[in-house]
Amino acid sequence: MLELLNVNPSSGEPIYRQLHDQIVRLIVGGQLHPEDVLPSVRQLAEHLAVNPMTVSRAMQQLVDQGWVERRRGQPSRVAARTSANNASGSSLLAPQLSALVEQAQQLGVDYDELQQLLKQFWQKE
Amino acid sequence: MEAEDKPVLQFTLVNKTYAETTKSATGHKVLADLSITLYPGMVVGLLGQNGAGKSTLMRCALGIVDIDSGNINTLGESPETLSIEAKQHIGYVPQQPFGYEGFTIDKALELHRSFYPQWDIALEQDWLNRFDLDVTQAVQKLSVGQRQSLALIMAMAYRPTLLLLDEPVASLDPIARRQFMGDLFDLALDSGSAVLFSSHITSDLERVASHVALIKKGDLVLFKEIDALREEVKLLTINDDTQLPASYRILSQTGQTVLVDTQGNSDAIAGVQNEKSLNLEQLFMELHR
Repeated sequence: MLELLNVNPSSGEPIYRQLHDQIVRLIVGGQLHPEDVLPSVRQLAEHLAVNPMTVSRAMQQLVDQGWVERRRGQPSRVAARTSANNASGSSLLAPQLSALVEQAQQLGVDYDELQQLLKQFWQKE
Repeated sequence: MEAEDKPVLQFTLVNKTYAETTKSATGHKVLADLSITLYPGMVVGLLGQNGAGKSTLMRCALGIVDIDSGNINTLGESPETLSIEAKQHIGYVPQQPFGYEGFTIDKALELHRSFYPQWDIALEQDWLNRFDLDVTQAVQKLSVGQRQSLALIMAMAYRPTLLLLDEPVASLDPIARRQFMGDLFDLALDSGSAVLFSSHITSDLERVASHVALIKKGDLVLFKEIDALREEVKLLTINDDTQLPASYRILSQTGQTVLVDTQGNSDAIAGVQNEKSLNLEQLFMELHR
């Protein structure tokens, strides 16, 4: 799964959060399944060339939120989906949607127009 | 962890002024009431313009340059009277390395190794291979990048507790730089060392540093964990009458654009039109407007 992850250290967003969000997206999107084994903090840090403390912070957050399970002496695994971590794909789109709406408003694109655009792009993909 | 660990390097209200020159009658202040503490495991990226005091700070920590006032604690000792024991646990790569001209790499390493009882020969070999250095080559025939690689081996093969690197990677190619950064992590996390390194390559600092220290004209403007930096330092666009909370620290202001350190206060503020997080390079530019 390493090849599915990448971070951009020069974006203003903290690296741990980029990593956290990507892993959540992989779980919600079904690319990662419950019980899948995750790479170790070291492997992730080496692959992404970032400080392991940053990676371990992201993992800790995933564990705290119930996305990932850590058992003593074993690699981390994707946790079973429970009511605590059943975020849907649509709820994860909220930040992008709010940015899109904001920009549309700034540019004077109204709701109907935006809907049309969305349809066009959806069909193009 | 930080509260229990003993500091590896500690500056307390350190001042340093270089003597007056023909250009400046009052002398040149290079460090102004500078306080900073490094604990084991920290990789601190030191960022500042040329002449901001980065190299002086490192030299003071080593006792190469005397300070005018304040206090420095280097591995529990005063830098002016560093014991041999302490020196064996410090690694330093200055901006212009060298010495060992007239030596071949293996002869230079042989001599250098003899000063450090903790020297790890396997690590040395590993790095020689990785940097692709031919040990029969004469030191003065090496390219700038090769010299830098050798200097890094000489400063790191004994896993120093305190590692000071003054622009260590500028001449390394991107692949060598990435590998070198991995070595820094190993040192900081496995050996519990503290690393202070200056670089103008902000994207490297963003990957490698656990903390960033930004100095401007001898003054430590910011010292924060790198993630906290992205979350707490913001560029705001405000109205003329906007009241910013007292807990905010204003770092710079040009008209309605204010660079603030929110110091963890995440409440929404009325009258802020726009709020932006910055990467290190943008932050650096904003601070030097």
